[in-house]
Amino acid sequence: MQFEPAAAGRVSAHFELVEVGLLRLATSQLVELLEAADPHATGTAADPALKRLLPDAYQGDPEAAAEFRRFTAGDLLDRKVLNARVVLATLGEEPLDPISDEPDEALLHDFPDDAPLAIVLDLPDVQSWLRTLTDLRLTLAERLNIGPDGRPQRDDEEVPFLSDVYEWFGMVQEALVYAIDV
Amino acid sequence: MPKTVERPDLQETVSLDRPWITIVWDDPVNLMSYVAYVFRSYFGVTAEEAERLMLQVHNTGRAVVATGNREAMERHVEAMHGYGLWATLARADS
Repeated sequence: MQFEPAAAGRVSAHFELVEVGLLRLATSQLVELLEAADPHATGTAADPALKRLLPDAYQGDPEAAAEFRRFTAGDLLDRKVLNARVVLATLGEEPLDPISDEPDEALLHDFPDDAPLAIVLDLPDVQSWLRTLTDLRLTLAERLNIGPDGRPQRDDEEVPFLSDVYEWFGMVQEALVYAIDV
Repeated sequence: MPKTVERPDLQETVSLDRPWITIVWDDPVNLMSYVAYVFRSYFGVTAEEAERLMLQVHNTGRAVVATGNREAMERHVEAMHGYGLWATLARADS
């Protein structure tokens, strides 16, 4: 993974294929979560990740918080879905399948297995990426039960992998912030 | 010009309202570099001011990032939620 500032505020990005696959998988799951969400659900039934993605705007005033949610949650969810879809679109619409049953010579020549994906993100793309990386990390943090010290409070066989993904998304986001911080 | 005549009254009413504040809370997830970036790009503050606000959030658990009428603060809070930051609004004297 690498970001470099390009002309006109754009950012050129390089990802290894395994990184692209990971980003696509996680972002697709985020879209599913967001699209299945009831924007007005506030009770304990609501997914904790969604409660963090759409936190109460008023503390100690459930009525005002519910009112705010009524007017904003739908739009916020729509925009989060839109951002995630931009990330998926910039990563390429077609599913990556480097291990095809019938290898196409021309395709293999153009896209060798170890070739990184090179894309250019314009300003709106970068905004969508930054927000989606945040939503991905917030969602993973809920799944990992990240504590105040920033470490997972959960301990099972899924934690090492999810922690690595969580940390890596943080590295991607930081690299992107630095690439536009000129 | 009745429209311009009414304006001073309107501003008076607004300024007599008790102001509201937008608060951004610390969370263990969002990166310090990203939080400072959001303050810079959304509120248009200098890099130094964004860094100061971010460190205040980080070190004291919260920072007041805007003051004004309730509608404006609700817009800021919605924007912060769009960025994934944990933000609330409250009366300035609460």
